[in-house]
Amino acid sequence: MSTKGTSLKGLLLVALLVSHMLLTKEGVTSLPICPKGSVNCQLSLEELFDRAVKLSHYIHFLSSEMFDEFDELYAQGRGFIAKAVNSCHTASLTTPEDKEQAQKIHHEDLLNLILGVLRSWNDPLIHLASEVQRIKEAPETILWKAVEIEEQNKRLLEGMEKIVGRVHSGEVENDIYTPWDGLPSLQLADEDSRLFAFYNLLHCLRRDSHKIDNYLKVLKCRLIHDNNC
Amino acid sequence: MKQRFISSVQIILQLALTTVGLTGQSYPGKPQIIRCRSLEKETFSCWWKPGSDGGLPNNYTLFYSKDSEEKIYECPDYLTSGPNSCYFNKNHTNPWTTYIITVMATNEIGSNSSDPQHVDVTSIVQPDAPVNLSLETNTSANMSYLWAKWSPPPLADASFNSHIYHYELRLKPEEKKEWETVSVGMQTHYEVTSLQAGVKYIVQVRCMLDLGEWSEWSSERSIQIPKEQLPPEKPRIIKCRSPEKETFTCWWKPALDGGLSTNYTLLYSKEGEEKVYECPDYKTAGPNSCYFDKKHTSFWTIYNITVRATNEIGSNVSDPHYVDVTYIVQPDPPVNITLELKKSIKRKPYLVLTWSPPPLADVRSGWLTLEYELRLKPEEGEEWETIFVGQQTQYKMFSLNPGKRYIVQIHCKPDHHGLWSEWSPEMYIEIPTDFRVKDMVVWIIVGVLSSLICLIMSWIMIMKGYRMMAFILPPVPGPKIKGIDTHLLETGKSEELLSALGCHGFPPTSDCEELLIEYLEVEDSEDQQLMPSHDTPSKNTKIILKETDSDSGRGSCDSPSLIPVKCRESRGLPSTLQTQDVRAKEKKGGKGSWETPCMASEQKTLSCNSESIKSCTWLAAQLPSKQAAVFAYHSTVEAFKITLNTTNVNTSPVLVGNEENRQLLYPIAETVYDDVEKISEMEYSRTDQATVQVRQNQHNDKSSFLNTKLMDYVEVHKVRQDEEPTLLLKHKENSGKTKKCTVPGTSKEYTKVSTVMDHHILVLLPDQRTQNTPVSQEPAAETSQNPQQSQAEKNTSYSTTAPSDSRRDTSGSDYMDPSSFMPSFK
Repeated sequence: MSTKGTSLKGLLLVALLVSHMLLTKEGVTSLPICPKGSVNCQLSLEELFDRAVKLSHYIHFLSSEMFDEFDELYAQGRGFIAKAVNSCHTASLTTPEDKEQAQKIHHEDLLNLILGVLRSWNDPLIHLASEVQRIKEAPETILWKAVEIEEQNKRLLEGMEKIVGRVHSGEVENDIYTPWDGLPSLQLADEDSRLFAFYNLLHCLRRDSHKIDNYLKVLKCRLIHDNNC
Repeated sequence: MKQRFISSVQIILQLALTTVGLTGQSYPGKPQIIRCRSLEKETFSCWWKPGSDGGLPNNYTLFYSKDSEEKIYECPDYLTSGPNSCYFNKNHTNPWTTYIITVMATNEIGSNSSDPQHVDVTSIVQPDAPVNLSLETNTSANMSYLWAKWSPPPLADASFNSHIYHYELRLKPEEKKEWETVSVGMQTHYEVTSLQAGVKYIVQVRCMLDLGEWSEWSSERSIQIPKEQLPPEKPRIIKCRSPEKETFTCWWKPALDGGLSTNYTLLYSKEGEEKVYECPDYKTAGPNSCYFDKKHTSFWTIYNITVRATNEIGSNVSDPHYVDVTYIVQPDPPVNITLELKKSIKRKPYLVLTWSPPPLADVRSGWLTLEYELRLKPEEGEEWETIFVGQQTQYKMFSLNPGKRYIVQIHCKPDHHGLWSEWSPEMYIEIPTDFRVKDMVVWIIVGVLSSLICLIMSWIMIMKGYRMMAFILPPVPGPKIKGIDTHLLETGKSEELLSALGCHGFPPTSDCEELLIEYLEVEDSEDQQLMPSHDTPSKNTKIILKETDSDSGRGSCDSPSLIPVKCRESRGLPSTLQTQDVRAKEKKGGKGSWETPCMASEQKTLSCNSESIKSCTWLAAQLPSKQAAVFAYHSTVEAFKITLNTTNVNTSPVLVGNEENRQLLYPIAETVYDDVEKISEMEYSRTDQATVQVRQNQHNDKSSFLNTKLMDYVEVHKVRQDEEPTLLLKHKENSGKTKKCTVPGTSKEYTKVSTVMDHHILVLLPDQRTQNTPVSQEPAAETSQNPQQSQAEKNTSYSTTAPSDSRRDTSGSDYMDPSSFMPSFK
């Protein structure tokens, strides 16, 4: 028995060695303790911003495509754009409206604003992802995008909280948040009104996601590249 | 009756006319009825065209008849419708009758009639044009219209004015060519609407009865329509654009102004604000545009923009235009585009494109992010290749065709939204021709040339194949003994020579003899050609005896030095070469058998000097397959006969030199090897013949001399024609001193037979080359080939020799040892 055990152990050892060699050859080495681009085993701010910008870019890309698809499918000739004026639920958040404002505002405030907008979209995105499936003959692409945006928005929020936690000297304000009460409008019986509610929501999503993307790019250039991107 | 009368009158008149024609005057030409026309269906008129008057005043008379009766009437009224016309008033007009009308012209000489015209009144109705056309314009409710009035055409008889006409009116602006025709109906006035303000119009009318044709157009009337005063049409906003995501501009298209100056006002309201603002800057972006500077530009805000056009009369507002500036960014094209050709390590050129973002765009702050796209094509190409390069401001292109000129353009666009900029100006770059292409060409040329050469070579090879073979694989050259120190030979130091040859033991063993044989080079002499027996070709044998001995007594040299044997006793014994016999014996093989046949064949004892240890003879046999090369050496003094046999046996028996009473046969078992081949038989036979002849002379004259003396050498000193042949025989001591055999060059040797003269006179040539003459014996060499021949020769001639090979090397002088054949002559 003992000899058997030893031989088994030896076999295992050999197998381990071989697998290790193979893995090493394949380039699959054990992960370094600290991820790439990190300082003191923490992701650098630059890396954080890089990821955040990529994410926000992606989210806006999705929301923009979703809006365009919806617009083409359901909003043609209905004049939704005229009605959509001044009806985003995040409109109460005063965000920079041009480059000058965006450059003037303190980066902490801007970060807080971004956080606020992201948070404000948590609820509506969840509802959008579920309600959009009830649109008549909604194409799969729209459904998929709604879900994807909802997930990615959460991730971006996490990342932004991390960035804000890193950048902020004081406390993170958690109170910036705009409630959304548009769920009933998404469930209206009248198709036209319901479609407009969707249209408006998607339009606002496109706008806010672009805002966030733009602000993040400005912040990145300001904080990481000293305004010299 | 009347017609007959008329015709007879006409004939008379024509006759008269012909007579008058001679005097320059004639009867009138034929008149032609132009048209008949009824203005109102109740009267009608006909007009004719007069023919030539014939130089005289004419009278015209119109006759007509009706289809219902035969009666001919004259025109009732020549005046009413003017000259050359006839007016038929109401009383003479019957719409149900067809009139046949003829016009006759008459003068003093005669008359002429027109062709008759059939007239149906109802088919020739055409009224006159309406008259008294008058125009008026009127404006009511910003609309201009034209009022036209006219009167029906007047008629000669006022009582007929109850006719009803249809009217048409046509009008056009003065400067245009196309008329606009309006059907009016039966009223004599018309109102024209939709006229252009400020344009002068021309108007005409015409009329028609219920049957017949339209009248002519009435005379033109024109009238100026006054300019309108209308409010402007709706302006239209064409587009809005932000070049750098900081400001933006909107343009609109002006509407028709209606002839009045129009003011445009751009009004906008922003999302979330009720207030309506006016455009802050109409001038910066040019006419019909509004520029929104940074202060007035907000993003993520919808602008509701309208344009209002206003003039004296009123105003008009465009449709609203909703703009979110975020989505209307269209940058300027990139600038500072550079194209640079670089070369990689492999020397392949690649193109590096660099560019800068448009100067207006602030990409550094991150507010605006631009993405680029470039396109390129060969100059003559049609399709662009478009490459999206993302946010980078440089690009490397590797796969460009060398030697082509490319056009490159770049444009840019903000990320996510907005529009692509215009393409940048065309940039040209010429990709140089690749070096490797040239190299390829060179290699191709080289390849083609080399293959050509190869082809030619192989062709030549085929054509002259065997020659080439001969060239490449030449025939095996004849054997030559090399490495013999001539001086040693000259001095006769056989031991040294032998030692030099690697044979240390003395007396030479069979090995040494082999060596000796090996190093003997036998050469044929050209003098052999003299011999009659040379005819026989023995090509294969080439026996060269190479001796550097300058001594005349070549044989003497050889024999004492190499074989210090003297055969004396054999003098009396005629030694005969009986090659055949020997051969026969030899074939039996075996050592023992060698002796007996040798003995038997020779029938005599071959005796050698007792002192000399060795026999005098070698017998070299050759391979059966190859020709037998036999080297025989004779010590002629004893008339010792050495028979050389060429046998087919591999082992070459050596004819033994005999000691006095003992006959020693030394068969040398010669393993066949190359050197044996080289050493062809020493040809005695050739020289033998010469010798024989000499001998004969000697024999005849001084046979006793020959017989009585033991001769080592025969040296012919002089042979004169007039004298008796003298042979100086150089006697060699029997002691076997080898050195004596070398005779210094004081006396000449006559070793070559030059000519055989009459009376048994032999002319010998002095040996100039101081070489030993190898003598080969042909027949021995060619055993298999010419036994019979040699036999025959033996029978006929004195010698057993076969004819010498004519090809033998003549460089060597012949060596004659006449004494060797002496016995055969005995």
